[in-house]
Amino acid sequence: MRLFFINRYIKQKRLKSLLLCISLCLNAQAVDATEVIVSANAVGQLKNSHKLQAIFSLRTLYWPNGEKIKVFVLPDNNAVHKKFVKEKLGMFPHQLRRTWNRMTYTGTGQPPITVDSIEEMLDKIQHTNNAIGYIDRRVEGESIQYFNAP
Amino acid sequence: MNRFNTLMLRNILYFVCLLSCSVCAQEIDTESVIGASTQEDNKLWEGAKKAWRDDIQFHGFLSQGLFSTSGNNVYGKSKNSVSAGLTEIGLNISYRALKNLSFAAQGLYRRAGATTGDAGEVTLDFGFVDLNLLNLQEGRIGVRGGRIKNPWGLYNETRDVAFTHPTIILPLTYFERSRTLMLATNGGQLYADYNTSLGNLSFKFNYGWVNADDKNILTAITYDPTASGHLKSKPSFATQLNYEMMGGTYIFALSYADLSMSYQAKNSGDPYAQMKANIEAFMVSGQYNGETFSFVGEYSLRWSEFTDIRLGVADTSPVSEYWYVQAGYRFVDDFQATLRYDSAVQNINDKSGQVFHEKTGLPAQLTFTHDITFGLRWDITPVWMIRAEYHRVHGATTINLLDNPDFSKIVKNWNIYALQVAFRF
Repeated sequence: MRLFFINRYIKQKRLKSLLLCISLCLNAQAVDATEVIVSANAVGQLKNSHKLQAIFSLRTLYWPNGEKIKVFVLPDNNAVHKKFVKEKLGMFPHQLRRTWNRMTYTGTGQPPITVDSIEEMLDKIQHTNNAIGYIDRRVEGESIQYFNAP
Repeated sequence: MNRFNTLMLRNILYFVCLLSCSVCAQEIDTESVIGASTQEDNKLWEGAKKAWRDDIQFHGFLSQGLFSTSGNNVYGKSKNSVSAGLTEIGLNISYRALKNLSFAAQGLYRRAGATTGDAGEVTLDFGFVDLNLLNLQEGRIGVRGGRIKNPWGLYNETRDVAFTHPTIILPLTYFERSRTLMLATNGGQLYADYNTSLGNLSFKFNYGWVNADDKNILTAITYDPTASGHLKSKPSFATQLNYEMMGGTYIFALSYADLSMSYQAKNSGDPYAQMKANIEAFMVSGQYNGETFSFVGEYSLRWSEFTDIRLGVADTSPVSEYWYVQAGYRFVDDFQATLRYDSAVQNINDKSGQVFHEKTGLPAQLTFTHDITFGLRWDITPVWMIRAEYHRVHGATTINLLDNPDFSKIVKNWNIYALQVAFRF
């Protein structure tokens, strides 16, 4: 009988640690989720109707105050870029690249500026007006604003 | 025993959880390490990047192809040999001068077998001013004036940029040997985009003069390499309605072109002096671009009308039919395979070319092509790409007649092996 209780106790403990493990995993993923960031002066410009897909596909080119949206992206093969495109735009990187290539090589549009790292992305968004980009985690900083679009 | 199984299962789950946690952690680590290592390089670039105004951008591309064939030549002397005959280099500049006014131009260097000669050719690929008349979140309307790329099917506008199309050799409907005709319009373009929650509509209408002054097109119409004059474009138009759904997962397009040209004789006795040509064509395009699979199909009909052409041409108003179906599979993000069945028939009333052969004495295979293509593509980095492909070809209707000057030796069944390396920025 005692053995049974010990066994049960061990099982319960295992179950608890299993749950803890799953929640840790979920947390780790949440930390790893991409965050859309905009420069401080652009926050007031954001509207609920702004669609991230339209901004990054360069269909929406201007903020409501008439200033051009400056789009920054990471390279196509960057893990954070791939995650961002899937999670926040509902697209695949190759679809976005197709759109940008068509504009670039027919002269009908200017593609986003590619930065090489998260650090450079943060630097650009902090020091460029009317800019939008993304990073892989929330960071402290007054000049970094998060864009929680639907 | 049952309890043991449950325990084992839990232990395995426990282990998997731990493993995935550490993988997550690793991902974050690698990213920050990469970030740190490139930081120094960034500083070097910083100065160069800041030197440019942010409303001016430069971009370009470069590609080099290698071809080996049996039977007929492609891009130079590739028959039973290897030809490095296809080189494409482009450089463009775009300048957004005002909110609604921008300029763009692209120079293209191209070396493509006998068409351009060994030295190649430099052309202005496009060069125009873009005036945006209306710009809303729901869409925009504008006009462009100058030299503008022609919308035709899914690939024509960027046909010389290797990165933008799935195979080294484009599907037959993009008629490589008369490419200059479809390339661009010197004139104007009206464009309109309309964005809805269901998808994005885009409309383009080009009106003006195309480039008809090309020896290849003249030879393709007359089958006479000795014709000494040249073709001159008359007012023509090309238009397209494009619809994209779900960020480009589904793309549908309707294209229509009406191109007119007349022959300009060099001397008075020229038998083609009065020749005129009119080509009307439409194309229906459909594409599915999934995460791993992609499917493309395009169908096109072309009505040609040749007036006052020398006797001996089988049909002065042939209707041509082109179609292909293509499937692509991405093994991983950077590596994909493409399989295509492609068909071209010069005259739907003479699919086997028998009438053509009887009337002209030229090989019947000059009137049709059926091509099975298999290709592999590896995007080594976002800016470097390499690909290889194999074509099993039956017929020769789209081959370059300048690369194959002896028409009687044109072979019906042949192979193409091709390799290409490409760079873009």
